[in-house]
Amino acid sequence: MAECLLEACDVTVRFGGLIAVDNVSASFEAGELAGIIGPNGAGKTTFFNAISGVIAPTSGRLIASGRDLTGQRPHAYARHGIARTFQTPRVFAEMTVAANVAFGLKFAGRGRPAPWLLRDADGILELIGLADRAAMPAAGITPSQQRLLEIGMALATRPRLLLLDEVAAGLTESELESMAQLIRRIRSELDLAVVWIEHAVTTLLRHVERVLVLHQGRKIADGPPAVVVRDAEVIEAYLGDEMVETGPTGPTAHDGRAPAGAHA
Amino acid sequence: MTDRGLLGRDVLVLLALTGWGLALPHYASEFVVSLGLTCLMYVTLSTSWSLFCGSTRYLSLATSAFFGLGAYASALGLERQLPWASVIVIGAAIAVGVAIVMGAAVLHLRGTYFAVLTFGMTELIRHALAYFEKQVSGTVGRVLTTVPEGATVYLTVLALAVLALATSIVVRRSRFGLAMSGIGADEQRAQTLGVNTRLVKLAGFAITAGFAGAAGAAMAVRWTYIDPQTVFNPFIGFQTVLIALIGGAATLWGPLIAAIVFSLLAETLRLQLPQLYMMALGLLLILSVLYLPGGLASLRWQTVTGWWRGAGARLARGALAWRVRGAGRG
Repeated sequence: MAECLLEACDVTVRFGGLIAVDNVSASFEAGELAGIIGPNGAGKTTFFNAISGVIAPTSGRLIASGRDLTGQRPHAYARHGIARTFQTPRVFAEMTVAANVAFGLKFAGRGRPAPWLLRDADGILELIGLADRAAMPAAGITPSQQRLLEIGMALATRPRLLLLDEVAAGLTESELESMAQLIRRIRSELDLAVVWIEHAVTTLLRHVERVLVLHQGRKIADGPPAVVVRDAEVIEAYLGDEMVETGPTGPTAHDGRAPAGAHA
Repeated sequence: MTDRGLLGRDVLVLLALTGWGLALPHYASEFVVSLGLTCLMYVTLSTSWSLFCGSTRYLSLATSAFFGLGAYASALGLERQLPWASVIVIGAAIAVGVAIVMGAAVLHLRGTYFAVLTFGMTELIRHALAYFEKQVSGTVGRVLTTVPEGATVYLTVLALAVLALATSIVVRRSRFGLAMSGIGADEQRAQTLGVNTRLVKLAGFAITAGFAGAAGAAMAVRWTYIDPQTVFNPFIGFQTVLIALIGGAATLWGPLIAAIVFSLLAETLRLQLPQLYMMALGLLLILSVLYLPGGLASLRWQTVTGWWRGAGARLARGALAWRVRGAGRG
Protein backbone atom coordinates (compact mmCIF):
# COMPACT_ATOMS: atom_id res chain seq x y z
CA MET A 1 0.00 0.00 0.00
CA ALA A 2 1.22 3.48 -0.88
CA GLU A 3 2.37 5.85 1.82
CA CYS A 4 -0.33 8.13 3.20
CA LEU A 5 0.76 11.77 2.81
CA LEU A 6 -2.21 13.46 4.37
CA GLU A 7 -5.08 12.18 6.37
CA ALA A 8 -8.00 14.45 7.17
CA CYS A 9 -10.26 12.99 9.84
CA ASP A 10 -13.75 14.41 10.34
CA VAL A 11 -12.71 17.91 9.39
CA THR A 12 -15.36 20.54 10.07
CA VAL A 13 -15.04 24.25 9.39
CA ARG A 14 -17.71 26.53 10.74
CA PHE A 15 -18.03 30.25 10.07
CA GLY A 16 -20.52 31.47 12.65
CA GLY A 17 -23.74 29.65 11.80
CA LEU A 18 -22.52 28.45 8.40
CA ILE A 19 -20.95 25.03 8.12
CA ALA A 20 -18.54 25.38 5.18
CA VAL A 21 -16.96 21.95 5.56
CA ASP A 22 -19.02 19.30 7.28
CA ASN A 23 -17.27 16.30 8.75
CA VAL A 24 -15.10 15.48 5.75
CA SER A 25 -12.61 12.64 5.95
CA ALA A 26 -10.19 11.86 3.19
CA SER A 27 -6.66 10.60 2.80
CA PHE A 28 -4.23 11.20 -0.03
CA GLU A 29 -1.52 8.75 -0.97
CA ALA A 30 1.87 9.18 -2.56
CA GLY A 31 1.75 9.51 -6.33
CA GLU A 32 -1.99 9.78 -6.84
CA LEU A 33 -3.79 12.33 -8.99
CA ALA A 34 -7.11 13.21 -7.41
CA GLY A 35 -9.70 15.80 -8.27
CA ILE A 36 -12.24 17.61 -6.15
CA ILE A 37 -15.43 18.83 -7.72
CA GLY A 38 -18.59 20.38 -6.42
CA PRO A 39 -20.92 23.26 -7.15
CA ASN A 40 -20.04 26.81 -6.12
CA GLY A 41 -20.02 27.16 -2.36
CA ALA A 42 -19.61 23.41 -1.84
CA GLY A 43 -16.62 24.04 0.43
CA LYS A 44 -13.81 23.00 -1.90
CA THR A 45 -11.53 25.96 -1.28
CA THR A 46 -12.36 25.98 2.44
CA PHE A 47 -11.37 22.32 2.57
CA PHE A 48 -8.03 23.25 0.92
CA ASN A 49 -7.59 26.10 3.39
CA ALA A 50 -8.12 23.66 6.23
CA ILE A 51 -5.71 21.00 4.93
CA SER A 52 -2.98 23.56 4.21
CA GLY A 53 -3.22 25.26 7.60
CA VAL A 54 -4.53 28.55 6.22
CA ILE A 55 -7.56 28.25 8.47
CA ALA A 56 -7.80 26.10 11.56
CA PRO A 57 -10.63 23.57 11.37
CA THR A 58 -13.35 23.93 14.00
CA SER A 59 -12.98 20.23 14.72
CA GLY A 60 -11.24 17.20 13.27
CA ARG A 61 -7.63 16.15 12.87
CA LEU A 62 -5.02 16.57 10.17
CA ILE A 63 -2.16 14.13 9.97
CA ALA A 64 0.67 14.62 7.47
CA SER A 65 2.96 11.64 6.90
CA GLY A 66 2.13 10.35 10.35
CA ARG A 67 2.61 13.69 12.13
CA ASP A 68 -0.32 15.50 13.70
CA LEU A 69 -0.43 19.05 12.33
CA THR A 70 -3.87 20.01 13.60
CA GLY A 71 -3.94 23.67 14.60
CA GLN A 72 -0.48 24.41 13.23
CA ARG A 73 0.14 27.36 10.96
CA PRO A 74 0.69 27.12 7.18
CA HIS A 75 4.49 27.12 7.32
CA ALA A 76 4.41 23.86 9.24
CA TYR A 77 2.30 22.25 6.51
CA ALA A 78 4.67 23.60 3.85
CA ARG A 79 7.65 22.20 5.71
CA HIS A 80 5.98 18.80 5.88
CA GLY A 81 5.58 18.61 2.15
CA ILE A 82 2.13 20.07 1.58
CA ALA A 83 2.11 22.88 -0.97
CA ARG A 84 -0.79 24.78 -2.45
CA THR A 85 -1.70 27.38 -5.02
CA PHE A 86 -4.35 30.05 -4.64
CA GLN A 87 -7.42 30.50 -6.81
CA THR A 88 -6.50 34.08 -7.66
CA PRO A 89 -2.75 34.07 -8.32
CA ARG A 90 -0.91 35.53 -5.34
CA VAL A 91 2.53 36.06 -6.73
CA PHE A 92 4.98 38.57 -5.25
CA ALA A 93 4.22 41.28 -7.80
CA GLU A 94 7.34 43.38 -7.37
CA MET A 95 9.80 40.49 -7.40
CA THR A 96 11.00 38.91 -10.62
CA VAL A 97 9.53 35.64 -11.81
CA ALA A 98 12.77 33.88 -10.87
CA ALA A 99 12.77 35.43 -7.38
CA ASN A 100 9.18 34.28 -6.86
CA VAL A 101 10.25 30.72 -7.54
CA ALA A 102 13.45 31.05 -5.51
CA PHE A 103 11.43 32.13 -2.47
CA GLY A 104 10.01 28.70 -1.74
CA LEU A 105 13.41 27.07 -2.28
CA LYS A 106 14.86 29.26 0.48
CA PHE A 107 12.14 28.46 3.03
CA ALA A 108 10.00 25.33 3.02
CA GLY A 109 12.08 23.78 0.23
CA ARG A 110 15.34 24.16 2.13
CA GLY A 111 16.71 20.91 3.42
CA ARG A 112 13.99 18.84 1.77
CA PRO A 113 15.00 16.15 -0.70
CA ALA A 114 15.43 17.87 -4.06
CA PRO A 115 14.37 15.97 -7.18
CA TRP A 116 16.50 16.89 -10.20
CA LEU A 117 13.73 18.95 -11.83
CA LEU A 118 13.34 21.02 -8.67
CA ARG A 119 17.07 21.45 -8.05
CA ASP A 120 16.99 25.23 -8.48
CA ALA A 121 14.89 28.12 -9.78
CA ASP A 122 16.07 27.57 -13.37
CA GLY A 123 14.98 23.95 -13.29
CA ILE A 124 11.53 24.88 -12.03
CA LEU A 125 11.12 27.71 -14.55
CA GLU A 126 12.06 25.24 -17.30
CA LEU A 127 9.45 22.78 -16.03
CA ILE A 128 6.60 25.31 -15.93
CA GLY A 129 7.69 26.88 -19.19
CA LEU A 130 8.50 30.36 -17.93
CA ALA A 131 12.27 30.27 -18.43
CA ASP A 132 12.12 33.15 -20.90
CA ARG A 133 10.21 35.30 -18.39
CA ALA A 134 12.67 34.75 -15.51
CA ALA A 135 13.88 38.35 -15.24
CA MET A 136 10.49 40.01 -15.61
CA PRO A 137 8.62 41.35 -12.59
CA ALA A 138 5.79 38.96 -11.74
CA ALA A 139 3.28 41.80 -12.17
CA GLY A 140 4.31 42.07 -15.81
CA ILE A 141 3.37 38.57 -17.01
CA THR A 142 -0.07 37.51 -18.22
CA PRO A 143 -2.68 36.08 -15.83
CA SER A 144 -2.32 32.61 -17.32
CA GLN A 145 1.45 32.81 -16.87
CA GLN A 146 0.83 33.89 -13.28
CA ARG A 147 -1.14 30.68 -12.77
CA LEU A 148 1.86 28.71 -13.99
CA LEU A 149 4.07 30.75 -11.69
CA GLU A 150 1.79 29.90 -8.75
CA ILE A 151 2.47 26.23 -9.51
CA GLY A 152 6.20 26.96 -9.77
CA MET A 153 6.21 28.72 -6.39
CA ALA A 154 4.42 25.78 -4.80
CA LEU A 155 6.81 23.29 -6.42
CA ALA A 156 9.77 25.23 -5.03
CA THR A 157 8.78 24.04 -1.54
CA ARG A 158 9.63 20.54 -2.87
CA PRO A 159 6.30 19.12 -1.83
CA ARG A 160 5.06 15.55 -1.73
CA LEU A 161 1.46 16.68 -1.99
CA LEU A 162 0.46 19.53 -4.28
CA LEU A 163 -2.93 21.19 -3.83
CA LEU A 164 -4.08 23.05 -6.95
CA ASP A 165 -7.01 25.42 -6.56
CA GLU A 166 -8.56 26.15 -9.96
CA VAL A 167 -5.27 26.66 -11.74
CA ALA A 168 -7.05 26.34 -15.09
CA ALA A 169 -9.84 28.85 -14.43
CA GLY A 170 -10.24 31.31 -17.27
CA LEU A 171 -7.85 29.48 -19.59
CA THR A 172 -8.68 28.84 -23.24
CA GLU A 173 -9.43 25.30 -24.43
CA SER A 174 -5.86 24.71 -25.64
CA GLU A 175 -4.28 26.31 -22.56
CA LEU A 176 -6.52 24.10 -20.43
CA GLU A 177 -5.25 20.99 -22.18
CA SER A 178 -1.59 21.97 -21.81
CA MET A 179 -2.19 22.78 -18.14
CA ALA A 180 -3.61 19.27 -17.68
CA GLN A 181 -0.57 17.81 -19.45
CA LEU A 182 1.73 19.84 -17.18
CA ILE A 183 -0.05 18.56 -14.09
CA ARG A 184 0.22 14.96 -15.28
CA ARG A 185 3.87 15.47 -16.08
CA ILE A 186 4.59 16.98 -12.66
CA ARG A 187 2.84 14.09 -10.99
CA SER A 188 4.64 11.38 -12.90
CA GLU A 189 8.12 12.88 -13.14
CA LEU A 190 8.29 14.25 -9.62
CA ASP A 191 6.45 11.37 -8.03
CA LEU A 192 4.21 13.60 -5.97
CA ALA A 193 0.53 13.46 -5.26
CA VAL A 194 -1.72 16.10 -6.79
CA VAL A 195 -5.16 17.14 -5.58
CA TRP A 196 -6.81 19.35 -8.14
CA ILE A 197 -9.93 21.50 -7.74
CA GLU A 198 -11.41 22.61 -11.02
CA HIS A 199 -14.71 23.87 -12.39
CA ALA A 200 -13.98 22.44 -15.84
CA VAL A 201 -15.40 19.09 -14.76
CA THR A 202 -15.15 17.20 -18.04
CA THR A 203 -11.46 17.98 -18.44
CA LEU A 204 -10.79 17.17 -14.81
CA LEU A 205 -12.59 13.82 -14.99
CA ARG A 206 -10.61 12.89 -18.08
CA HIS A 207 -7.29 13.24 -16.27
CA VAL A 208 -7.74 12.23 -12.64
CA GLU A 209 -7.82 8.69 -11.27
CA ARG A 210 -9.95 9.54 -8.31
CA VAL A 211 -12.51 12.21 -7.68
CA LEU A 212 -14.07 13.55 -4.50
CA VAL A 213 -17.40 15.31 -4.72
CA LEU A 214 -18.31 17.95 -2.17
CA HIS A 215 -21.83 19.22 -1.83
CA GLN A 216 -22.94 21.73 0.80
CA GLY A 217 -19.78 21.04 2.75
CA ARG A 218 -20.23 17.26 2.85
CA LYS A 219 -18.29 14.67 0.92
CA ILE A 220 -20.91 12.79 -1.08
CA ALA A 221 -18.68 10.63 -3.24
CA ASP A 222 -15.07 9.50 -3.47
CA GLY A 223 -13.75 7.08 -6.07
CA PRO A 224 -12.75 6.54 -9.69
CA PRO A 225 -14.47 9.03 -12.03
CA ALA A 226 -16.29 6.34 -13.95
CA VAL A 227 -17.92 5.12 -10.75
CA VAL A 228 -18.55 8.51 -9.20
CA VAL A 229 -20.40 9.90 -12.19
CA ARG A 230 -22.87 7.04 -11.93
CA ASP A 231 -23.62 7.85 -8.33
CA ALA A 232 -27.22 8.91 -7.97
CA GLU A 233 -26.54 11.49 -5.30
CA VAL A 234 -23.77 13.07 -7.37
CA ILE A 235 -25.93 13.33 -10.44
CA GLU A 236 -28.71 14.78 -8.36
CA ALA A 237 -26.49 17.31 -6.61
CA TYR A 238 -24.16 18.45 -9.25
CA LEU A 239 -23.59 16.67 -12.50
CA GLY A 240 -27.24 16.47 -13.42
CA ASP A 241 -27.93 19.56 -15.45
CA GLU A 242 -24.42 19.96 -16.86
CA MET A 243 -24.17 16.40 -18.04
CA VAL A 244 -27.64 16.35 -19.47
CA GLU A 245 -26.65 19.23 -21.66
CA THR A 246 -23.40 17.71 -22.87
CA GLY A 247 -24.14 13.98 -22.89
CA PRO A 248 -25.70 12.47 -26.01
CA THR A 249 -28.23 10.35 -24.15
CA GLY A 250 -28.29 12.15 -20.84
CA PRO A 251 -28.32 9.92 -17.81
CA THR A 252 -31.43 9.85 -15.75
CA ALA A 253 -30.77 9.56 -12.09
CA HIS A 254 -31.35 5.81 -11.88
CA ASP A 255 -30.38 4.18 -15.14
CA GLY A 256 -26.83 3.52 -13.99
CA ARG A 257 -25.14 4.56 -17.22
CA ALA A 258 -22.15 6.89 -17.12
CA PRO A 259 -22.46 10.23 -18.81
CA ALA A 260 -20.55 10.56 -22.05
CA GLY A 261 -17.85 12.89 -20.80
CA ALA A 262 -16.51 10.49 -18.25
CA HIS A 263 -15.08 7.69 -20.35
CA ALA A 264 -11.93 8.99 -21.99
CA MET B 1 23.06 46.72 -11.44
CA THR B 2 24.45 43.48 -10.10
CA ASP B 3 24.11 42.43 -6.49
CA ARG B 4 27.81 42.93 -6.01
CA GLY B 5 27.61 46.46 -7.44
CA LEU B 6 24.78 47.28 -5.06
CA LEU B 7 26.71 45.86 -2.13
CA GLY B 8 29.70 47.98 -3.11
CA ARG B 9 27.52 51.07 -3.18
CA ASP B 10 25.99 50.30 0.21
CA VAL B 11 29.37 49.73 1.81
CA LEU B 12 30.58 53.01 0.30
CA VAL B 13 27.60 54.81 1.85
CA LEU B 14 28.46 53.24 5.18
CA LEU B 15 32.14 54.21 4.96
CA ALA B 16 31.28 57.74 3.89
CA LEU B 17 28.98 58.19 6.87
CA THR B 18 31.58 56.79 9.26
CA GLY B 19 34.32 59.04 7.88
CA TRP B 20 32.12 62.11 7.89
CA GLY B 21 30.93 61.35 11.42
CA LEU B 22 34.45 60.84 12.73
CA ALA B 23 35.81 63.96 11.05
CA LEU B 24 33.04 66.32 12.08
CA PRO B 25 34.06 67.05 15.72
CA HIS B 26 37.58 67.95 14.57
CA TYR B 27 36.72 70.94 12.45
CA ALA B 28 33.16 71.96 13.25
CA SER B 29 31.80 74.23 15.96
CA GLU B 30 30.02 72.89 18.99
CA PHE B 31 26.67 73.87 17.49
CA VAL B 32 27.37 71.95 14.29
CA VAL B 33 28.49 68.89 16.23
CA SER B 34 25.27 68.95 18.20
CA LEU B 35 23.40 69.16 14.89
CA GLY B 36 25.46 66.20 13.73
CA LEU B 37 24.41 64.29 16.84
CA THR B 38 20.73 64.86 16.07
CA CYS B 39 21.38 63.75 12.49
CA LEU B 40 23.01 60.53 13.63
CA MET B 41 20.17 59.86 16.07
CA TYR B 42 17.61 60.10 13.26
CA VAL B 43 19.84 58.01 10.98
CA THR B 44 19.78 55.29 13.66
CA LEU B 45 16.06 55.58 14.29
CA SER B 46 14.83 55.79 10.71
CA THR B 47 17.27 53.19 9.33
CA SER B 48 16.27 50.64 11.94
CA TRP B 49 12.59 51.58 11.57
CA SER B 50 12.69 50.99 7.81
CA LEU B 51 14.54 47.75 8.26
CA PHE B 52 11.41 46.21 9.77
CA CYS B 53 8.54 48.52 8.82
CA GLY B 54 9.76 49.28 5.30
CA SER B 55 10.04 45.67 4.24
CA THR B 56 7.08 44.16 6.10
CA ARG B 57 4.86 47.23 5.66
CA TYR B 58 3.84 47.12 9.30
CA LEU B 59 3.68 50.81 10.21
CA SER B 60 4.85 51.05 13.80
CA LEU B 61 4.32 54.25 15.76
CA ALA B 62 6.01 52.85 18.83
CA THR B 63 9.46 54.35 18.21
CA SER B 64 8.99 56.97 20.92
CA ALA B 65 8.03 54.23 23.39
CA PHE B 66 11.30 52.37 22.84
CA PHE B 67 13.27 55.59 22.74
CA GLY B 68 11.69 56.75 25.99
CA LEU B 69 12.25 53.41 27.70
CA GLY B 70 15.91 53.55 26.71
CA ALA B 71 16.20 57.08 28.01
CA TYR B 72 14.61 56.16 31.33
CA ALA B 73 16.77 53.08 31.70
CA SER B 74 19.77 55.30 31.07
CA ALA B 75 18.73 57.85 33.70
CA LEU B 76 18.15 55.15 36.31
CA GLY B 77 21.36 53.36 35.40
CA LEU B 78 23.49 56.49 35.59
CA GLU B 79 21.95 57.30 38.97
CA ARG B 80 23.35 53.97 40.14
CA GLN B 81 26.78 54.75 38.65
CA LEU B 82 26.60 51.95 36.09
CA PRO B 83 29.25 52.07 33.35
CA TRP B 84 28.22 53.86 30.14
CA ALA B 85 28.38 50.83 27.82
CA SER B 86 26.18 48.75 30.10
CA VAL B 87 23.68 51.63 30.31
CA ILE B 88 23.31 51.55 26.50
CA VAL B 89 22.97 47.76 26.46
CA ILE B 90 20.37 47.79 29.24
CA GLY B 91 18.41 50.49 27.39
CA ALA B 92 18.38 48.36 24.26
CA ALA B 93 17.54 45.18 26.19
CA ILE B 94 14.55 46.72 27.95
CA ALA B 95 13.23 48.05 24.65
CA VAL B 96 13.66 44.59 23.07
CA GLY B 97 11.84 42.96 25.96
CA VAL B 98 8.90 45.35 25.74
CA ALA B 99 8.84 44.98 21.93
CA ILE B 100 8.54 41.21 22.23
CA VAL B 101 5.61 41.48 24.64
CA MET B 102 3.99 44.26 22.59
CA GLY B 103 4.66 42.42 19.33
CA ALA B 104 3.13 39.21 20.61
CA ALA B 105 -0.01 41.19 21.44
CA VAL B 106 -0.41 43.29 18.29
CA LEU B 107 1.62 41.80 15.42
CA HIS B 108 -1.29 39.70 14.21
CA LEU B 109 -3.09 42.94 13.32
CA ARG B 110 -2.41 44.73 10.09
CA GLY B 111 -2.58 48.20 8.61
CA THR B 112 -4.26 50.96 10.56
CA TYR B 113 -5.09 48.71 13.50
CA PHE B 114 -1.46 47.88 14.05
CA ALA B 115 -0.38 51.52 13.72
CA VAL B 116 -3.06 52.77 16.11
CA LEU B 117 -2.37 50.06 18.68
CA THR B 118 1.38 50.69 18.71
CA PHE B 119 0.63 54.37 19.24
CA GLY B 120 -1.85 53.54 22.00
CA MET B 121 0.67 51.32 23.75
CA THR B 122 3.23 54.12 23.59
CA GLU B 123 0.80 56.38 25.40
CA LEU B 124 0.05 53.63 27.89
CA ILE B 125 3.74 53.21 28.71
CA ARG B 126 4.22 56.96 29.02
CA HIS B 127 1.31 57.36 31.41
CA ALA B 128 2.31 54.28 33.36
CA LEU B 129 5.75 55.76 33.94
CA ALA B 130 4.27 59.14 34.90
CA TYR B 131 2.06 57.32 37.40
CA PHE B 132 5.03 55.39 38.71
CA GLU B 133 7.04 58.59 39.19
CA LYS B 134 4.23 60.31 41.03
CA GLN B 135 2.72 57.51 43.12
CA VAL B 136 5.59 55.12 43.77
CA SER B 137 8.79 57.11 43.85
CA GLY B 138 7.15 60.45 44.65
CA THR B 139 9.04 62.29 41.95
CA VAL B 140 8.23 64.00 38.66
CA GLY B 141 11.35 63.23 36.69
CA ARG B 142 15.03 62.49 36.97
CA VAL B 143 17.95 64.86 37.17
CA LEU B 144 21.01 63.57 35.38
CA THR B 145 24.05 64.61 37.36
CA THR B 146 26.81 62.23 36.36
CA VAL B 147 26.84 62.26 32.59
CA PRO B 148 29.62 61.21 30.24
CA GLU B 149 31.46 63.75 28.11
CA GLY B 150 29.88 65.13 24.96
CA ALA B 151 32.46 63.39 22.78
CA THR B 152 31.58 59.99 24.31
CA VAL B 153 27.90 60.53 23.62
CA TYR B 154 28.64 61.62 20.06
CA LEU B 155 30.82 58.59 19.32
CA THR B 156 28.24 56.28 20.90
CA VAL B 157 25.46 57.58 18.67
CA LEU B 158 27.77 57.45 15.65
CA ALA B 159 28.53 53.82 16.47
CA LEU B 160 24.79 53.11 16.75
CA ALA B 161 24.11 54.76 13.38
CA VAL B 162 26.88 52.76 11.71
CA LEU B 163 25.68 49.58 13.38
CA ALA B 164 22.10 50.25 12.25
CA LEU B 165 23.23 50.77 8.66
CA ALA B 166 25.49 47.70 8.74
CA THR B 167 22.65 45.60 10.17
CA SER B 168 20.39 46.87 7.44
CA ILE B 169 22.95 46.02 4.73
CA VAL B 170 23.39 42.50 6.07
CA VAL B 171 19.72 41.79 6.78
CA ARG B 172 18.59 42.98 3.35
CA ARG B 173 20.77 40.26 1.82
CA SER B 174 19.80 37.52 4.24
CA ARG B 175 17.02 34.95 4.34
CA PHE B 176 15.57 36.91 7.25
CA GLY B 177 15.36 40.02 5.07
CA LEU B 178 13.76 38.04 2.25
CA ALA B 179 11.20 36.64 4.68
CA MET B 180 10.32 40.19 5.78
CA SER B 181 9.91 41.30 2.15
CA GLY B 182 7.68 38.29 1.55
CA ILE B 183 5.55 39.29 4.53
CA GLY B 184 5.30 42.80 3.11
CA ALA B 185 4.26 41.51 -0.30
CA ASP B 186 1.73 38.86 0.81
CA GLU B 187 1.97 37.55 4.33
CA GLN B 188 -0.22 34.48 3.89
CA ARG B 189 1.52 33.47 0.67
CA ALA B 190 4.87 33.74 2.44
CA GLN B 191 3.48 31.52 5.19
CA THR B 192 2.36 28.85 2.75
CA LEU B 193 5.86 28.90 1.25
CA GLY B 194 7.34 28.04 4.64
CA VAL B 195 8.00 31.34 6.42
CA ASN B 196 7.32 31.30 10.15
CA THR B 197 5.82 34.76 9.93
CA ARG B 198 5.11 35.22 13.62
CA LEU B 199 8.73 34.60 14.55
CA VAL B 200 10.13 36.73 11.74
CA LYS B 201 7.89 39.68 12.59
CA LEU B 202 8.72 39.45 16.27
CA ALA B 203 12.46 39.35 15.56
CA GLY B 204 12.26 42.29 13.14
CA PHE B 205 10.20 44.36 15.55
CA ALA B 206 12.63 43.57 18.36
CA ILE B 207 15.66 44.66 16.31
CA THR B 208 13.98 47.99 15.49
CA ALA B 209 13.11 48.48 19.16
CA GLY B 210 16.62 47.60 20.29
CA PHE B 211 18.13 50.38 18.19
CA ALA B 212 15.52 52.90 19.34
CA GLY B 213 16.15 51.91 22.97
CA ALA B 214 19.91 52.25 22.59
CA ALA B 215 19.49 55.62 20.87
CA GLY B 216 17.22 56.78 23.68
CA ALA B 217 19.71 55.64 26.30
CA ALA B 218 22.51 57.54 24.62
CA MET B 219 20.50 60.69 23.93
CA ALA B 220 18.98 60.93 27.42
CA VAL B 221 22.12 62.57 28.76
CA ARG B 222 21.62 65.50 26.39
CA TRP B 223 18.86 66.65 28.68
CA THR B 224 19.97 67.42 32.20
CA TYR B 225 16.50 66.64 33.43
CA ILE B 226 14.09 64.05 32.02
CA ASP B 227 10.47 63.22 32.70
CA PRO B 228 8.02 60.99 30.81
CA GLN B 229 6.64 63.95 28.79
CA THR B 230 10.09 64.76 27.40
CA VAL B 231 11.46 61.34 26.54
CA PHE B 232 8.22 59.81 25.28
CA ASN B 233 7.68 62.84 23.08
CA PRO B 234 5.62 61.48 20.16
CA PHE B 235 7.36 63.98 17.89
CA ILE B 236 10.47 61.78 17.86
CA GLY B 237 8.44 58.79 16.69
CA PHE B 238 6.51 60.74 14.09
CA GLN B 239 9.60 62.41 12.72
CA THR B 240 11.27 58.99 12.38
CA VAL B 241 8.32 57.64 10.40
CA LEU B 242 8.11 60.77 8.24
CA ILE B 243 11.82 60.67 7.46
CA ALA B 244 11.66 57.00 6.50
CA LEU B 245 8.54 57.44 4.35
CA ILE B 246 9.72 60.59 2.63
CA GLY B 247 13.14 59.09 2.02
CA GLY B 248 11.75 55.75 0.86
CA ALA B 249 11.42 53.10 3.54
CA ALA B 250 12.24 50.19 1.25
CA THR B 251 15.75 51.44 0.47
CA LEU B 252 18.91 51.78 2.50
CA TRP B 253 20.04 55.26 1.56
CA GLY B 254 16.62 56.94 1.27
CA PRO B 255 16.04 57.19 5.04
CA LEU B 256 19.73 57.98 5.53
CA ILE B 257 19.72 61.04 3.27
CA ALA B 258 16.29 62.12 4.51
CA ALA B 259 17.44 61.81 8.12
CA ILE B 260 20.37 64.12 7.48
CA VAL B 261 18.37 66.67 5.47
CA PHE B 262 15.41 66.76 7.82
CA SER B 263 17.24 66.88 11.10
CA LEU B 264 19.25 69.82 9.73
CA LEU B 265 16.06 71.47 8.54
CA ALA B 266 14.36 70.72 11.84
CA GLU B 267 17.09 72.20 13.97
CA THR B 268 17.53 75.33 11.89
CA LEU B 269 13.91 76.03 11.01
CA ARG B 270 12.54 75.04 14.40
CA LEU B 271 14.57 77.72 16.08
CA GLN B 272 13.24 80.45 13.84
CA LEU B 273 9.98 79.27 12.34
CA PRO B 274 8.66 76.21 14.21
CA GLN B 275 5.22 76.19 12.57
CA LEU B 276 6.71 76.57 9.11
CA TYR B 277 8.88 73.50 9.62
CA MET B 278 5.96 71.31 10.68
CA MET B 279 3.88 72.60 7.79
CA ALA B 280 6.67 71.93 5.32
CA LEU B 281 7.13 68.42 6.71
CA GLY B 282 3.40 67.70 6.48
CA LEU B 283 3.23 69.00 2.92
CA LEU B 284 6.24 66.94 1.87
CA LEU B 285 4.73 63.82 3.40
CA ILE B 286 1.46 64.34 1.52
CA LEU B 287 3.30 64.96 -1.74
CA SER B 288 5.57 61.97 -1.34
CA VAL B 289 2.73 59.60 -0.42
CA LEU B 290 0.60 60.84 -3.35
CA TYR B 291 3.23 61.09 -6.06
CA LEU B 292 6.23 59.13 -4.83
CA PRO B 293 4.96 56.16 -2.84
CA GLY B 294 8.48 54.69 -2.96
CA GLY B 295 9.88 57.84 -1.35
CA LEU B 296 12.55 60.19 -2.63
CA ALA B 297 14.87 57.22 -3.18
CA SER B 298 12.58 56.00 -5.96
CA LEU B 299 12.94 59.30 -7.77
CA ARG B 300 14.64 58.81 -11.13
CA TRP B 301 15.16 61.07 -14.09
CA GLN B 302 12.38 59.11 -15.86
CA THR B 303 9.96 59.96 -13.05
CA VAL B 304 10.44 63.65 -13.68
CA THR B 305 10.23 63.31 -17.46
CA GLY B 306 7.16 61.09 -16.91
CA TRP B 307 5.44 63.88 -14.96
CA TRP B 308 6.40 66.30 -17.68
CA ARG B 309 4.93 64.09 -20.39
CA GLY B 310 1.85 63.43 -18.25
CA ALA B 311 1.31 67.12 -17.84
CA GLY B 312 1.78 67.61 -21.61
CA ALA B 313 -0.73 64.87 -22.40
CA ARG B 314 -3.24 66.37 -19.98
CA LEU B 315 -2.84 69.77 -21.61
CA ALA B 316 -3.29 68.24 -25.06
CA ARG B 317 -6.42 66.37 -23.92
CA GLY B 318 -7.78 69.58 -22.43
CA ALA B 319 -7.15 71.48 -25.63
CA LEU B 320 -8.81 68.72 -27.67
CA ALA B 321 -11.87 68.67 -25.39
CA TRP B 322 -12.11 72.40 -25.68
CA ARG B 323 -11.94 72.26 -29.47
CA VAL B 324 -14.51 69.42 -29.64
CA ARG B 325 -16.89 71.42 -27.47
CA GLY B 326 -16.29 74.42 -29.70
CA ALA B 327 -17.03 72.30 -32.80
CA GLY B 328 -20.21 70.97 -31.20
CA ARG B 329 -21.45 74.45 -30.66
CA GLY B 330 -20.48 75.58 -34.15
